[in-house]
Amino acid sequence: MSTQMHTPMNTMKWLIRRELWEHKGALFWAPLAVALVLVLLFGGGAVYSIMHTGSFDLQFGQDQVVAVNGIPHALRAKLASMAASSYLLVSAPLFLVLPVVVFFYCLAALYDDRRDRSILFWKSLPLSDRDAVLSKVIVALLVAPLVLIAIGVATSLVLLSIGLIAAAVNNVNLIVPVLSDLRLYLSPLYLLGFLPLYIVWALPTVGWLLLVSSWAKSKVFLWAVGVPLVTLAILAWFDFLVGRFSGVSLGAKWIGNEIVARMLGGLFPGIWFGEVGTQGASQMQNGLDASLLLSVSYSTLATPGVWIAAAAGCAMIAGAIRLRRWRDEG
Amino acid sequence: MSAVLSARGLTKRYGKRVALDAIDFDIPAGRIVGLIGPNGSGKTTTLKAALGLIAFEGELSVLGFDPRTQRDDLMKEVCFIADVAILPRWLLVKDAVDFVAGVHPRFDRSKAERYIANTKLTPTMKVKEMSKGMIVQLHLALVMAIDARLLVLDEPTLGLDIIYRKTFYQNLLEDYFDEQKTIVITTHQVEEVEHILTDLLFIRDGKIALSASMEEIGARYVEVMVANDKLAAANALQPIDQRTVFGKSVMLFDALRAGGLSRTQLAALGEVRNPTVADLFVATMKGTYA
Repeated sequence: MSTQMHTPMNTMKWLIRRELWEHKGALFWAPLAVALVLVLLFGGGAVYSIMHTGSFDLQFGQDQVVAVNGIPHALRAKLASMAASSYLLVSAPLFLVLPVVVFFYCLAALYDDRRDRSILFWKSLPLSDRDAVLSKVIVALLVAPLVLIAIGVATSLVLLSIGLIAAAVNNVNLIVPVLSDLRLYLSPLYLLGFLPLYIVWALPTVGWLLLVSSWAKSKVFLWAVGVPLVTLAILAWFDFLVGRFSGVSLGAKWIGNEIVARMLGGLFPGIWFGEVGTQGASQMQNGLDASLLLSVSYSTLATPGVWIAAAAGCAMIAGAIRLRRWRDEG
Repeated sequence: MSAVLSARGLTKRYGKRVALDAIDFDIPAGRIVGLIGPNGSGKTTTLKAALGLIAFEGELSVLGFDPRTQRDDLMKEVCFIADVAILPRWLLVKDAVDFVAGVHPRFDRSKAERYIANTKLTPTMKVKEMSKGMIVQLHLALVMAIDARLLVLDEPTLGLDIIYRKTFYQNLLEDYFDEQKTIVITTHQVEEVEHILTDLLFIRDGKIALSASMEEIGARYVEVMVANDKLAAANALQPIDQRTVFGKSVMLFDALRAGGLSRTQLAALGEVRNPTVADLFVATMKGTYA
């Protein structure tokens, strides 16, 4: 007999490990590749510009180009403040990798093993369908974002270091003011602070994708994306044709915003800004005000739509579990 | 000992087609049962019902559990290899062993490693790099190391060469099986398993055509190589099947059917022997005997 404990917790740990074995390409290597590209592009660009021009220029907005050579004290402080507060922004492209990776992960999660029939191997082990599906939910909503946050923070720190060294070489030493700025250390925590919000917003999309993944006999992508979009297109066409004469509307616009957008777009970090707009961004003269951003973001939880959608997401996950339990894989 | 598997009125419909037609059977503990039937007869459906993989009507109890509602508990005691099951392509040998050891309380890691050591598998090999036979070897090594009370094998040796097949069945008998365990096997290669089976369950068109232990079958069915001058006498005893081997008639008799035939009575007709399961199967499925 094996000596390990076979607690539910332990089983979940193995199920998650299993997901990481299967999807390490998408969950680790893809973001790492993007991170590498960012480092080479931005870091290499900074190094290149130092070596060739002996200075490097910062561009503010459209045409405010400032040569960072012998700059006034106030500007130096402002630069340090921006670097310390906003350095995470440089890895923003990484966070576009997240929705793509998780979208395709969810579509494959309950479909691939049915297609190749290896589901019967997993089902021959003492693993409940509930745990199997929940392990995939955890990977999609928790593990994948955490990996991305870790890689994103690491990448940003590497690029910040390159930037600081490059500036120092140009006699603009920002190292001390940046290192002594508390926001340098708080930024990753603020980023983590978005995770619970992200989970609530991503739930409907993850639920929908897992439901399709558990149900479809083939062509999961077409079902997942096609059904909502085609439905929406038909409704919009109806509203367009009929609505202008009779005033009868099927509410295509509302359905698009409240249902389809949440079903398909929930994985995009920051989708909640669609709810509140980017108010407050104009007040951020000295870099990102993370706490303001957080509070604005969390204020979207005051609308019932978010919670109804999240509940629907949970219901769809329950549906996916049920389908996986009873689907005949003959 | 109560039945390990017990079905009453087990019925499964796929749309209008009836795959299992209210079948009843009992499988006691400590048996090795051959579930045998033509393609589409309902064997795999029976196994899927028993393993909680499909919904069904009627009653079915497996180790005292209802596979529909108590599958999670059932799977701690049962293991199976489905005929179409394969291992996921991305799985490494060592990860497979780690995983099963991690989630299965009845898995014996050293046993699995011992089986694997007898193959060409290496710990860092991926399933997608393996031949069909090697995948089956890995699957069997994992399953044989699980101390399950009921083991269901649906075509377990498909794709294996003959040497490994023989070793597998030998291991199954010597290393795995004991009186606490029950094994249900379906296979097309009946000759390979008949010497290890203790019971036969023939299934045909969703119905049980024959359910008997090997002893009962030995006592009940007799094959006679009938001498040419005794043909008329033999035919009068209503053989359930006959074929010709080297110009001689070989007839199969059901001792119960022809009103209590004895072996000595049949021996008068010619050389008497026990039929093979394959011959019995062919005779049973022919439709001359329902």
